[in-house]
Parts: sequence; structure tokens; C-alpha cells
Amino acid sequence: MEALSDEIIMQKVAEGNLDLLKILFDRYHKHIYHFLYKMCGDRMLSEDLTQDVFYKLIKYRSSYKNGSFKSWLFTIARNNLKTHFTRDHKPHEDIKVLAYKAVEEEDEIMENNAHLQNALNQLDPADRELVILSRYKEIRYEELAEMIGSTPGAVKTKVCRVLKKLKKIYLQSI
Amino acid sequence: MENKHISDLIPDYLDGTLDMETRRKVEQHLGKCNKCQQELEEMKALFHAFDDQDIPVPSERLRISFETALETEKESLAKVIPLSSPETKTNWGGNLLKIAASVALLAVSFQMGSLFQQRKVDGDMALLRDETLQMKQAAMLSLMENQSASKRIQGVNYIEEFEQPDEAIIEALGNRLLHDENDNVRLTAFEALSKFTSSESVKTLLIEALEKEKNPSIQVAIIQVLVQIQERKAAEPMKKLLEQEDTQPFIKEQIKAVLPSIT
Repeated sequence: MEALSDEIIMQKVAEGNLDLLKILFDRYHKHIYHFLYKMCGDRMLSEDLTQDVFYKLIKYRSSYKNGSFKSWLFTIARNNLKTHFTRDHKPHEDIKVLAYKAVEEEDEIMENNAHLQNALNQLDPADRELVILSRYKEIRYEELAEMIGSTPGAVKTKVCRVLKKLKKIYLQSI
Repeated sequence: MENKHISDLIPDYLDGTLDMETRRKVEQHLGKCNKCQQELEEMKALFHAFDDQDIPVPSERLRISFETALETEKESLAKVIPLSSPETKTNWGGNLLKIAASVALLAVSFQMGSLFQQRKVDGDMALLRDETLQMKQAAMLSLMENQSASKRIQGVNYIEEFEQPDEAIIEALGNRLLHDENDNVRLTAFEALSKFTSSESVKTLLIEALEKEKNPSIQVAIIQVLVQIQERKAAEPMKKLLEQEDTQPFIKEQIKAVLPSIT
């Protein structure tokens, strides 16, 4: 059972085998948490949002339609983040302002982390999201393309461009 | 390829996702191109920074709350099935009882309703009948005082509407019988009164009328009725009529014929 693909497991979950959701939770909750933390820089908020992602997975399990499970799951996470920043926080302020502020508050992170995080924070939220997602070895360009509604080739080019931009910012700050 | 910079392939080269052919070409180019060599080193540093990040780990709270939510969802799913099936079975009897009860309630309320309605209608009807009788009596009495003879006859004829006429009506009819100048009115009044001969006041009225009546046909009619009810008090006025000179001869004969039967 452990060796089954995400998609087959999710299919079974959608058919009513709820216990299998635990496997998917084990596989992905850290990734989701990490992604959200990188995006918002707030541990508590990331944990709450991750929890919400998996609640939604339980609630909307029957709406899963065969596509890449990873794309589906990260789409839920991205929407959660967007909803959080547009609805719960100051609704008229831009998302990057809030994300930037939130990350700055974390003082205890190590120097390397601080440099990289600072560099990431200077990117557009969309670019930042792209580079964070692409740095997970588990997420392929095809899945990334499915998530943001693009083609794998275009995504690859875009990621490459953003990486170069990030590298420049990062090296300047050292 | 060898003459072009390969900076776009560097991330994939570092990730080891290039196929053998492209990988070999990239390595060839890197050996010749210092610019791309530098690019590679820089990108490597960035990737190391990514890899060296301490990855924050979510607390155990996340797993616990997820598993709680999962159990809640499973319970809510499990509850639906066993609870619904036994209930539907027991509901059959319950539903039948409910239907029976509602039918009974409907029948009872219908009966009650019609009963109350009936009572009310009866009351209303009695009241109405009473009122119409009073109106008819008033109409009858006023008609009998009318100047026109036909109206007076019409008034007298109203007697048919009354089963038990009261004294006022009897007296009014008596007045017509005794004092009305029109023969037809007197005759009609007599016919009306002749239906109530069991009443003493009617008998007295008839005897009084026999003494006063001059119209022979009415006289005959009165005599017949009085004989029929065997009224002994009528004998005296009949004898008087026999002695009177203006009495019609056939009346006298009539009286002679019936007189023995009542004396």
C-alpha cells in the first residue's frame, strides 16, 4: 500500500477509504508546511494554513479528478495562502508587502538562511512562489505547469530566468 | 551548441536532470567558457544555500488535529448508514398509527363542526320562523282592516299559515265574521274559523254569528258546522231563526231537519 502512487491512493480516498489519507498526510504535510513557511515566513500561520489544506483535502476529497495529486494539493495550499492574505489581513494592501513584513520579523534564523530569505523576499510573489516550488525535487516542471496553468517548456524557461535573478540578488547581499 | 552559452541549462545540469547527450555537451562548453564556468559556480552557491537551509518542521499539533478531523469525518460517515435503516423499519408502524390518528382527528373534527353548525342553523331557523310568523300575523291583521274586500279575504286566508292561531287572530277573524259588510269576507272568515271549532271562543263566535247572520248560504254553512260538532248551545238561536219571519224557508227546513239531532 505504501508503494502506491499518490493518484491511486487519492482515487481510493475519493471512493471512501478515508484511512488512506494518513499516507498522503505523511508524504506531504512537511512539504506543504515548508512551502507556506517560505512564502509567508510565519511558523504559526504556516501550521494553521497547512492544517486547513488537509481539512480541505478531507472535505473536498470527492472533487478530486485524476490529475496530478501534487498539483492539486499545492493548488489548494496556494489558494489558502491567497485567501488568507486577501481576506483575513488588510484587504487593500498588496500581498508582497505583508509577506515581506512577516519574514522580516524572524530574527533568529541563521545568516545563510537570512541571506537567501532576503533575496527571495525581493522577488515578486509569483516569481518567489515559482522558485520555491521548483526547488522541491518532488515537483516536476509538468506539475508546476499544471498548477499555474502553463506549459512545461514555458515554466522551465521562466524558472531559469527567476533563478538567475535570484542568484544576482543573493550574491550581491553576501 | 558549443559556441552558445549554456547558462539556461545550468540549473538542470546541477540537478542532474539532463540526458547524457546534452550533459556531455554542457561539460564540453564549460571546459572552454570561463563565463559559463563562473555562472555554474554562482548557481551552485545558490543551490547550496537552498540545500543548507534549516527546514522548519511543523509541530505534532498538526498531525493530531489532522487525525482528529479524519476520525470526526469517518464517524459522521459511519453514523449515516446504521441509523437510517432500522428507523425506516420501525417507521412503518408509526406511520400507520400517525395516518390513522390523523384520519380519526379529521373525522371527529368534521362531526363536531357539523354538529355545532347544525345547532346554530336550528337556532337561526327557529328564530327566523318565529319572526316570519310574527310578520305574517301583523300582515294578516292589517290586511283584515283594509278597505278593499279582496285584501280582507287575502288577510283572512293567511290563517292557513298558522297551526295554532292565538286569541288576537281568532278575535280579528270573529270581527270579520260578525261585522264585515261583504258576504264573501264573512264566508271566508267563517271557513277559516270552522277549522278551529275545538276552541270555546270559536264556538261562541259561531253561535253569535248564527244569530246575526242574514245571508242564507252562510247561515246554512254555520248550521252544518254547529250540528257537526253537536253544539247544544246552538239550539236556542236555531229555534229563534225558525220563529223569525224573514228567515228563508229552506233554512227553516234545514233547521227542522237537524234540530232533533242536537237537542
